[in-house]
Amino acid sequence: MSTEITSTPFAVAADAVVVATDLTKIYGEGDSEVRALDGVSVSFPKGQLAAVMGPSGSGKSTLMHILAGLDHPTSGSVLVDGTELAGLNDQKLTLLRRDKIGFVFQFFNLLPMLTAKENIELPMKIAGSPPDPEWQATLVEATGLSTRMTHKPAELSGGQQQRVAVARALLSKPAVIFGDEPTGNLDSKTSSEVLALLRRAVDEFGQTVIMVTHDASAAAIADRTLFLRDGKIVRDAGHLSAGEILDTIKTLE
Amino acid sequence: MIGLVLRGLSTRKLRSALTAIAILLGVTMISGTLVLTDQIDRAFVQIFQQGNSKINVVVKQKPPFKDPQTEVFLNAELVTTVRAADGVWLAEPFIQVQGYVIVDGEAMDQTGGAPSFVFSSVSEQLNPYSPIDGRLPTASGEIAIAKEIATKSKAKVGQAVTLATQDGIKPVKIVGIVQYGDGSTSLGGSTTVLAPLIDVQNWWSLQGKASYIYAKAKDGVSDDELKANVRAALPQTDVIVQTGKEDADEQASVLNDLIGKIIRYALLAFAGVAVLVGAFIIYNTFSITVAQRTREFAMLRTIGASRRQILGTVVGEAFIIGSVASIIGIGLGMVFAWGLNKLFGVIGFGLPATGLILSWQTVAVSLAVGVGITVLASIFPALRATKIAPIAALREGVTLPVGRFQKLTPALAIVIAVLGAAGMVFGLISDADTTSRLLTLAGGAILIFVAVAMLARFIVRPVVGVLAVPITKVAGGVGKLASENAARNPARTAVTAAALMIGIGLVVFVTIFVGGLRESFTGAIDNSLKSDVTVTARGFGGSLPAGVLDAVRAVPGVETASPVGGTAAQVDGQSFALIGVDPKTITDVYAFDWNDGSNEAVQSLGTDRALVENAIATTLKLATGDSFKVQAISGASATFTVAGTYTDPTILNGFVVDQAALEPLLQSNATGLNTVFVTETPDSNPDTVQAAVDEALKGYPTAQVQSNAQQKEEVASSVNTILVIFYALLALSVMISLFGIVNTLVLSIFERTREIGMLRSVGTTRRQLRAMIRWEAVITSIIGGVLGVILGIMFGWAVCKGLESEGLSFVFPTVQIVIFLVLSIVAGIVAAILPARRAAKLDVLEALQYE
Ligand SMILES: Nc1ncnc2c1ncn2[C@@H]1O[C@H](COP(=O)(O)OP(=O)(O)OP(=O)(O)O)[C@@H](O)[C@H]1O
Ligand SMILES: [Mg+2]
Repeated sequence: MSTEITSTPFAVAADAVVVATDLTKIYGEGDSEVRALDGVSVSFPKGQLAAVMGPSGSGKSTLMHILAGLDHPTSGSVLVDGTELAGLNDQKLTLLRRDKIGFVFQFFNLLPMLTAKENIELPMKIAGSPPDPEWQATLVEATGLSTRMTHKPAELSGGQQQRVAVARALLSKPAVIFGDEPTGNLDSKTSSEVLALLRRAVDEFGQTVIMVTHDASAAAIADRTLFLRDGKIVRDAGHLSAGEILDTIKTLE
Repeated sequence: MIGLVLRGLSTRKLRSALTAIAILLGVTMISGTLVLTDQIDRAFVQIFQQGNSKINVVVKQKPPFKDPQTEVFLNAELVTTVRAADGVWLAEPFIQVQGYVIVDGEAMDQTGGAPSFVFSSVSEQLNPYSPIDGRLPTASGEIAIAKEIATKSKAKVGQAVTLATQDGIKPVKIVGIVQYGDGSTSLGGSTTVLAPLIDVQNWWSLQGKASYIYAKAKDGVSDDELKANVRAALPQTDVIVQTGKEDADEQASVLNDLIGKIIRYALLAFAGVAVLVGAFIIYNTFSITVAQRTREFAMLRTIGASRRQILGTVVGEAFIIGSVASIIGIGLGMVFAWGLNKLFGVIGFGLPATGLILSWQTVAVSLAVGVGITVLASIFPALRATKIAPIAALREGVTLPVGRFQKLTPALAIVIAVLGAAGMVFGLISDADTTSRLLTLAGGAILIFVAVAMLARFIVRPVVGVLAVPITKVAGGVGKLASENAARNPARTAVTAAALMIGIGLVVFVTIFVGGLRESFTGAIDNSLKSDVTVTARGFGGSLPAGVLDAVRAVPGVETASPVGGTAAQVDGQSFALIGVDPKTITDVYAFDWNDGSNEAVQSLGTDRALVENAIATTLKLATGDSFKVQAISGASATFTVAGTYTDPTILNGFVVDQAALEPLLQSNATGLNTVFVTETPDSNPDTVQAAVDEALKGYPTAQVQSNAQQKEEVASSVNTILVIFYALLALSVMISLFGIVNTLVLSIFERTREIGMLRSVGTTRRQLRAMIRWEAVITSIIGGVLGVILGIMFGWAVCKGLESEGLSFVFPTVQIVIFLVLSIVAGIVAAILPARRAAKLDVLEALQYE
């Protein structure tokens, strides 16, 4: 994959954890063709909390999926922690996801039959490597749910469930954590608890987080805000306040 | 991962339990069968070893070939030679025949499968029986009876009774009550009388004969030494010398081949059906749960679970369910064995049995089948689970990807069906041995079942479309919904119905097959017999005393009495019956269905010509004019020329020769008479004549007098017993398939929780909801029932056609088929009870919020 095709030159930070080059994703063919991503190049340095925003259908989820190796781009390349995803077989992709990538989804993050603690430990169990107990204790403490660890997801609130999901994503100390509207299902109070945890993951634990959100106040905690429209990055800004974000959204519509 | 599997199972308790039941019943049948047949096997060995416990060496006649129906005898004089052999301390001849004692006019015989024995009484030092009251019989006219008979008849020592012998009824006196061995072993259903050797020889035409010569060694002489010494003294090649233990083992294995093995394989076949049905249900359950857990698997994949780990969770679940079910099944198998043994006793096939034996082989086979089938049935669903892409976790409303295998289903099913049909045809028409023919036949049938199950999903929509019309008429909107639900997931409905199809199909098949068997007998009686009354020998290896014929002929109203006799014989190393008839009268009582020949051929049989049954002639490639050599079991042989061929696989199935030609080929105790066909004068009253014949034969307890109607009735009743046993065993498979319907319904209701909540919120009553689920079950069971009936008829027709030469004819069981269809509808209703209740209980609000 040659970088010559790159239409918009962009600077790749030396410590970039995720590098996407000229990504396109086309669904369907002919008349029904949809360009979900249309030449996206972007890189994310280590220790950054980035928010991805944009109108519905602009390609945010598609971008997340492709960056996380859950879906293949039609063209373009993705490097995660120095590994090119294109051409990896299922087994290698699985191992990469297991070791380098954490996820927080909007729904169905936890297995209903396992307790909060077991859900947190699940990826390590699957990997067959024991979790670092100190790190685990730190994470549990950070979720503020030390006393609820033996509860099943059904006995936790939506916000608590999402905090458990964040702790799970962090336990293996991945290179990057992706979130697709991790607070999309929550009210503003519970949402801020989850966001605080993500913020702390970056500030205190040095993690890298990339999340999609529709909520300006959620994006306002990020170090960087990206705006997508029609499958293209239309604005790549540093930290923005909620007001600035709302203004940008208006101009995009 | 194992923790995850266990956790998953425990949260899906009901589903896991229903899945386990599907395999549990099959394993129960397998282990129960093995436990029971081990018991029978062990019991036979014990019985014969106890019988020979005092005997070191046994001498017996070597027949030219083995025939389990015929006892052979040796020259009793050989006892002098045996006595003279080195190391022999005591030697005596022994005879075993069939007969029974009559106490106060009541025959103490066995009506079931076990024989009623009369044994000659040998001295105490050799006798496995010992008196618990009185003594062993020594003088002529004395007998001892087994304690079982004493208990049943309340007969006492000193009582005068009579003994039914081949030579008529003899007055005897009970001098002792005896028990076998230490009294702990029961001889199954058989009853035993001891009588002095001389009486047994005289009353069973065995003068100078013995069944065995028993020898006991002097102190310090081993069994093997004694055997060698006796063998040296008896160089004759037609005599066998064995140690007591060798003889006991041989007898046990002969009986075991005759009874134990047949029971074992027959029961295992039914267990196999149950396991097959179970496999369908497990496959279906796993397919449904995998589909329902798509998101869960996808989520596991996103957090790093590999495909193999996903495969592992599903197969691991199957492994655990299979193991638990198998272990419980083995336990229940012991109960099953106990119950079956009781059942055999009740229907008159009492079998000897020791305490329950759970051998490691039973455990191993049961576990291997139970776990193996469960795991195997889960593999396809598990493989589909591995195809779930991680991204499915993030998308709404994802469904399982269509597997490559699934797209090939129709083609594959057709290949399987063709293979199955080929197997069945081979099984029916090839001339391989019976075992391999039966196996290919069964294998072919299984393949056809599988193929139909695979194709069934294509007919679900059209069939439901047709059924929907009447159901909507009856049940209204609820019926419409039920039809739509049944058609929503055709593959699921199809496999659920297929499980029932197998049970119903086999029920229909055995009905047709057994009906064909009955028809072959009754048809033969109707078509071949011109006689009105038949006299046959009860038990007793089939011989009637010679006096019976004259006694019948003397009865007023009897026009013709035609004697028929026979012996076991071999031609070209294959066993057949050699039948002796009276050429002058046989055509008056029996209508030959000639292939090549005429009634004139019968008149000119002479001593060197024979008629051959058509199927046998085909097998042996014999045609009119060909000569063949017959080896009789007596050791004598003769050569005959084929004088004609006729078809009769039932009554005169064998080689027909003149009585006079049969005579020299008989054993010395055989009378050459086993049946008398009797016609009445046209003006006589049939009932009166039959009663008179009965009266004339009062002195011959072994003679049984039956009208044609009675013969047919007897066949029908024994055939019905078989049918009842088959139905009972197949009922288990049908029951398993009901669990399959329950399981599918429970799973689909679970899947449709939200939908049900919605239905309830818009005003569907609980009653309507229950009705909807009931109709869904009924639709499934009708599909299964109809498919089963169609396949059952096809199999039945094929097998009856294939075995036409053996007399089987195809009879369409209209009434039974209607009954089976009604029963399958009832089955559906029963299966719906639990799921319907669960659905109706769902809380509307919770159901609506259910994810
Ligand atoms: N599997 C698919 N097949 C066809 N088109 C798809 C598929 N997935 C997404 N699309 C299309 O691609 C475009 C981008 O979708 P995407 O889900 O990335 O949007 P989004 O920005 O996440 O929107 P939202 O904010 O609503 O979640 C949309 O037009 C969508 O319809
Ligand atoms: Mg989205």
